[in-house]
Amino acid sequence: MGRYIVRRLLYLVVVLFVVSVITFGLMHAVPGGPFDREKALPPDIMENLNRRYNLDQPIVVQYGLYMREVLIPKCQDTHWLATTEDDAMIKFKVGNLYCKWMNFGPSYRSRSRTVNDIFRDQLPISMQLGVMALTVALIIGLPSGILAALKQNTIFDYLGMSIAIFGVSVPVIVLGPLMVYVFGVALGWFPPTGWGSQPPYILGFIPRNLGWDYFKYAIMPAVALGLGSSAIIARLTRASLLQVVREDYIRTARAKGLRERLVITQHALKNSLIPVVTILGPMFAALVTGTFVTELTFGIPGMGRYFVTSITNRDYPVIMGTILLYAIFLVIANLVVDLIYAYLDPRIRYD
Amino acid sequence: MRKSLFLAVAALMIVSMALAACQPPAAEGPTIKTLKLNMGPGDIPTLDPSLATDTSSTQIDVMTFVGLTRQDEVTTLIGPGMATDWTYSEDGKTITFNLRNDVPWVKYDAVSDQVVQVTDCSETPAVRIVNAYDFVYGIERTLNPATASDYAYVLSFAIDGAAAYNNGETDDFSTVGVKAIDAFTLEMTFNEAAAYNANIAGMWIAYPSPSWLIDGDDCTEARGDKWTETGFFQGFGPYTMKEWVHDSYITLVKNPFWPGTENIPAAKIDEVTWTMLDEVPAFAEYEAGNIASAAVPLADIDRVKSDPTLSQELVIAPVQCTYYYGFNTTKPFVDDARVRRALSMAIDRQGLIDNVLKGGQEPAQWFSRPGLAGAPTMADHPDLGVKFDPEGAMAELQSYLDEKGITVADVDITLMFNTSSGHQKIAEAIQQMWKDNLGLDVKLVNQEWAVYLDTIRTVDTPQIYRLGWCQDYADANNFIREVFASGGSANPTNEDGSPAGGVMWKNDEFESLIVQAATELDPAARVELYAQAEEILVYTDAVMAPIYWYTRVSVTKPNVTRTYSVLGGQESVNKWDVTQ
Repeated sequence: MGRYIVRRLLYLVVVLFVVSVITFGLMHAVPGGPFDREKALPPDIMENLNRRYNLDQPIVVQYGLYMREVLIPKCQDTHWLATTEDDAMIKFKVGNLYCKWMNFGPSYRSRSRTVNDIFRDQLPISMQLGVMALTVALIIGLPSGILAALKQNTIFDYLGMSIAIFGVSVPVIVLGPLMVYVFGVALGWFPPTGWGSQPPYILGFIPRNLGWDYFKYAIMPAVALGLGSSAIIARLTRASLLQVVREDYIRTARAKGLRERLVITQHALKNSLIPVVTILGPMFAALVTGTFVTELTFGIPGMGRYFVTSITNRDYPVIMGTILLYAIFLVIANLVVDLIYAYLDPRIRYD
Repeated sequence: MRKSLFLAVAALMIVSMALAACQPPAAEGPTIKTLKLNMGPGDIPTLDPSLATDTSSTQIDVMTFVGLTRQDEVTTLIGPGMATDWTYSEDGKTITFNLRNDVPWVKYDAVSDQVVQVTDCSETPAVRIVNAYDFVYGIERTLNPATASDYAYVLSFAIDGAAAYNNGETDDFSTVGVKAIDAFTLEMTFNEAAAYNANIAGMWIAYPSPSWLIDGDDCTEARGDKWTETGFFQGFGPYTMKEWVHDSYITLVKNPFWPGTENIPAAKIDEVTWTMLDEVPAFAEYEAGNIASAAVPLADIDRVKSDPTLSQELVIAPVQCTYYYGFNTTKPFVDDARVRRALSMAIDRQGLIDNVLKGGQEPAQWFSRPGLAGAPTMADHPDLGVKFDPEGAMAELQSYLDEKGITVADVDITLMFNTSSGHQKIAEAIQQMWKDNLGLDVKLVNQEWAVYLDTIRTVDTPQIYRLGWCQDYADANNFIREVFASGGSANPTNEDGSPAGGVMWKNDEFESLIVQAATELDPAARVELYAQAEEILVYTDAVMAPIYWYTRVSVTKPNVTRTYSVLGGQESVNKWDVTQ
């Protein structure tokens, strides 16, 4: 198992390299540049901007400069300043040398910020929202899927699946403003917009305050976002469980006189979860790296916006940063999914 | 295993809650006046005056700094700022500014929760007073090619020697026409004796900057481009920055050291917070009573107008922007002024406003938004420019068709705009007007924004294309000349002066009129010159079809006393008050 994980992590490096090359090439190939404005800038100004951000260099050199900043630690004998140039995700001290490592570069749009700042300040918020939304999705999705399957063609089944269809077909863009209006404005139960935590975070992403002051902001977006995913989980769980309960080994379990509860929990459920776990990987990666519409609707200062605006703005370092981040989350989530397979189905072995 | 995981999570939650409980309770001080507003979605790009380009950045800058001069946000007239008065040289090109000597640099101190004065590095620290050297440093920094300031071009276009410094021809700043005569006297030399020089001198890109904070000195660590972050920021205007939580909100706090002048009074409200919400959630916050003023989303305008309470809080105010369609005057069919005039005259602007835009916009008859210095107004020039005239439009088109011996079905025209549902609706409405009034089928094409901007700056600019323009400084020069003069923003040229894209147009009479107007000092004569230039632009040559002049539809709670800026942002919140 250990060797398998190491192999997969090496494979992650290869994936990230390929993703970085493709993204870097594509974003520079698309027409339009980061400094194209409604008010066209004079050539002298464009030259200054391009020179400042190395955009006057050949594309291969630009890629090299970018990867060097990200991958290779830089050390000097004076401490690094709090400027955009000296910024990095990791700063540490080796002997008398001050080192920094992993600088994802400046944002062209927010002139006093770097992509590292966005990772530090915005990503934790998206992760909190994503984890809560996924929790909501599982809490609603799994039981209603199981119930629908066990009580097939009863009122529970129809009700559960109706809710699932509702969840899939009413997107956040409709549900969000509706919730904001009903629970935020009309009833005044929750603040209509905003987020209840601020940096710094415990372990980089856990808020310091976990009371009502935090959750009153989080409940509406987590439910709105989780509902759509819960529907997918519910439908998949139902379908998968219906298939499993018709398997021979379930009949065997019943025939040997096992209690129905044990048949379902020990034999049927565990095996039926494999397809559900499969989609949880990508779902997790998508939810925790930020969701544009949900964040916009509920005024949450998360990462989601940057996935969209960085591309319309041609903010190259932010595009690279967000894409690489998503790739890392996706690959790791899929790795975890593969490890869970081995637990769910002992026949799956990776060594 | 499942049990241990559960325990770990539970423990983590308990620890977190305990930590949360340890936080000190909020301090209870004397009641202060606070105000919450909305800035619009997305983070403020920068607070650095040398780098600011957009309305959110400049909104914070005009509150936390003051330029040499200050344009009144309601009347657009130029008044004193940090300069109490100024004198012109005989040739009108050099202005000598006399500065205030009583304004200290300040910063917000989080420990004492107070605004404190910034002191220097001497043994007995002295308060740093904003002086002429800070202005020179700020302007030098804007123009320095390494700063890569977008808006440096406004200074390099206006100030003597600035262009050569900005494009790296020289690295000697003493060749630039900006000099500190002494600590409180600043001399600026311009390229032209233009009416708007004092206006440009007051723009944010010419604000003073704290050199000790940006480059560092004996007692201050260099912050570079991050000097505007929470905890570092220094300014001197009626407010200073307390907290900037990126993508979420920014809070300004009253600067008690701003002396308060006649046109820039000291602040009445102690703390002003701007959230960074999209229009729809911001309006929800307004309705929930959490923010004091908000823009009205298009979908809510009819409801607000008919609501007894909300309609009382509604104000539709002008904004200094113009929405227009440009013509590539070298492309088939639209290379004839009659066709362009016909297309422009066939647009029912009022109908578009009443049925599509709904925001009380004003039908635009020419390009320079009335309210700008030098721009004609509807009161003194009611018949200037282009109006909706379907018969006249048809006659123009018919005369063209007869001459060429073709029918309307042979005319093949494409209108391009950047992808957006708003622009799409407008384009579809106008497409229908052209169909109804001229019998002309115009194709609609859209492109993603950045791709579109590339397209309209090449010789392949489509026959008709959409753009808008908002003021940088409130003078007609910033509109008609900087956009449509040969080499202007919508009329770019190659180095040899040949057209490179946009409207691809040059009219010598137009060019001479706008140069003449720039230096004309008699305001009435100036308006006449611009009126003649506008007539050429929108009617005689019909290079562009002005569509509407922007307005802003907003609601404000009745307990707020406020002014309405026409400058596109740049609200003087220091003039506002609130009863709580």
